[in-house]
Amino acid sequence: MAANSQRSLLEHRLVIVTGKGGTGKTTVSAALALAGARAGLRVLVAEVGPDEQIPRLLDPQAPQAGYAGCSLLPGLRAIRIDPFEALSEYLTLQLGVRAVVDAVLRNKAFRQLMTAAPGWRELITLGKIWHVAQLETGDPPRREFDLIVVDAPATGHGVAFLDVPRVVVSAVRAGPLHLHSERVEQLLEDPEQTLVLPVALAEELPAREIAELTDRVRNEMGISIDRVIVNAVVGAPFPAEISDLDEALGRLDGNLDLGTLPSPRALTRCARYLRSRHELNRHFASEIQHTTGLPIVELPRLAEGIRSPNQISSLASALLADPVFLE
Amino acid sequence: MKSDARLDAMLAEREVIVCVGCGGAGKTTVAASLAFEAARRGRKALVLTIDPARRLADAMGVESLGNRPHAIPREMLDELGVPEAGALSAMMLDMKRTFDDLVERFAESEEVRDRVFANSIYQHVSNALAGSVEYSAMEKVFEMHQSAAFDLIVVDTPPAQHALDFLEAPQRLLEFLDSRIVKMLIHPAFKAGRFGFRLFHRATQRVLHVLERITGIGFLEDLSEFLIAFDAMSVGFRDRALRVRALLLGPRSSFVLVSGPGRISAGHATDFLDHLAGFGVPLAGVLVNRMRLWPSPGPPPADAPWQAADVEALRDALRAGEGADYPAELAAEAAAKAATRYAEWVRADARSAQPLRERVEAQGCFWGCIPEFERDVHDLSSLACVADQIAGKEEEP
Repeated sequence: MAANSQRSLLEHRLVIVTGKGGTGKTTVSAALALAGARAGLRVLVAEVGPDEQIPRLLDPQAPQAGYAGCSLLPGLRAIRIDPFEALSEYLTLQLGVRAVVDAVLRNKAFRQLMTAAPGWRELITLGKIWHVAQLETGDPPRREFDLIVVDAPATGHGVAFLDVPRVVVSAVRAGPLHLHSERVEQLLEDPEQTLVLPVALAEELPAREIAELTDRVRNEMGISIDRVIVNAVVGAPFPAEISDLDEALGRLDGNLDLGTLPSPRALTRCARYLRSRHELNRHFASEIQHTTGLPIVELPRLAEGIRSPNQISSLASALLADPVFLE
Repeated sequence: MKSDARLDAMLAEREVIVCVGCGGAGKTTVAASLAFEAARRGRKALVLTIDPARRLADAMGVESLGNRPHAIPREMLDELGVPEAGALSAMMLDMKRTFDDLVERFAESEEVRDRVFANSIYQHVSNALAGSVEYSAMEKVFEMHQSAAFDLIVVDTPPAQHALDFLEAPQRLLEFLDSRIVKMLIHPAFKAGRFGFRLFHRATQRVLHVLERITGIGFLEDLSEFLIAFDAMSVGFRDRALRVRALLLGPRSSFVLVSGPGRISAGHATDFLDHLAGFGVPLAGVLVNRMRLWPSPGPPPADAPWQAADVEALRDALRAGEGADYPAELAAEAAAKAATRYAEWVRADARSAQPLRERVEAQGCFWGCIPEFERDVHDLSSLACVADQIAGKEEEP
């Protein structure tokens, strides 16, 4: 059953891709950015972790994007937001005097403070995202980017960082920090513009975590979330009339010599593995849908993970499919 | 996997085993299995987890325990072949409580304690202050080790981008508490308001002005009060952090790196190894979790070399077994295809893990693979199966 109430992923300004490590969040971010660029949008894809992966996923020859960013394809730019560089840019915008900012940033005491201080990295990173979302270009001026895809950090529940502006708005009474956090919060909480896109595996622990994440994003943070990407799903391995193939194989003499083929014992293992992963994925895909109340989009499991831009390209179309409620 | 003398020695002799690795590799499962295996070998083991799978937690009874070790009941251990001498306990770190306990312990007076607890910054940041998860995990390890209630503590570290966050974050937290800027913020002149700034060095004044301009003075006042309260406790903190570090880097401890089999995961693990080596961490070995292994001796054949005649032989065998109505031809082809598909996965895992394996073996550390199970690991008996694999008791799941 298709869920028709959803807008296309491409009809948002800011899509924040979240998920635990190992769920394929970075791949999904790259695929979504590619899908946007192909649809003729001007897309920026932003990584926030210490290592940069997306440019090389999309183009093995790509240069490092860094904070300045690089152009990967027509209409597709990538950046990696380093918090200290974002802080430097922010302070320069605020104080206007580059020399003062440089002196402060070089100050050892200041660096020590910033190394230990909580929350500011998340805040400044979101601030930078807010900033690029406001950028305009051309004459008459239009938005520089139609779509910004953020590959969110994999730590914690992956959404804690989205909560920082809200916490700052309540903990800091007044001043620029309060004001700017409030602007970022408004962008995040605007369902017309911002969508959180969770990526999960159809396995037990990820299924539970995604339910907690969805609940927090919707109820505590008030950020729009309308589907779950269920990644690495093992499809039905056998035709319907022999769906219990592994059992039939298991009834053969396990050591029968089949020449080039593995023995029935080994074939049984292969078949049983495929079937049980398939059934497990089915079970938890529907559990994800029940516990989150959200429709899902399934992406297939690839044997070797992503090895070439072509594979990202095939995921890009699958990613844009209408989310469905499983029967 | 085959039993390895280095792994056996680790399980027999160490007092602390620290499992490190990226998130998603199954660190919690591996940590719990190592503790179980040590218990099965007659030791009193504790697994300290940070963020366990809920059902694993339920199975081990750690859900409702807060911050204390919970002993797995003797009957359950008997069923799983743990001898009388062995014991297994589990606990889940409650970071906020650990931090609160620390404040209780090191606050010099009730007044200091109450001031810390009441401070709005403490309330917001004791969970978020950079390094506080790592600090509280290390603190808990030390407390449990001191208690001498266990022969072995297996620690499941918080997922980290960098291998050494666990070791370095507490140090950074302490350096911060020791830093000039904190000394300034807790200086009495600071409390006296902005005119007090003049007492400081010019560069310092500048930093304070910038901070004030960005955050507003109210924030700095709260921060100052928080730090004053914390400063009163920092001597105790510091002493303890140094002792924890000495324990973890000393001869009583071993580190085990847990990785997933995928290319990205194995790549991260290789980076981890570099960091660990640079830091002098006592790495015992690497366990690759959820590896897909070929069910026959030898490596999986490449490029599906199945001969048509062999597929037909399988078809005939299936027809003979299942009867004339069974779609044996379809089934034989599907079985051959399943073998092809599975072989591809097995080869992909082996290829991705190979560079890591070479590194590890060149370093003289143990290398082990735990196969991917057909079901998720969510109770003690499946944990025992993982332990069987780690200990080399069984060839296949």
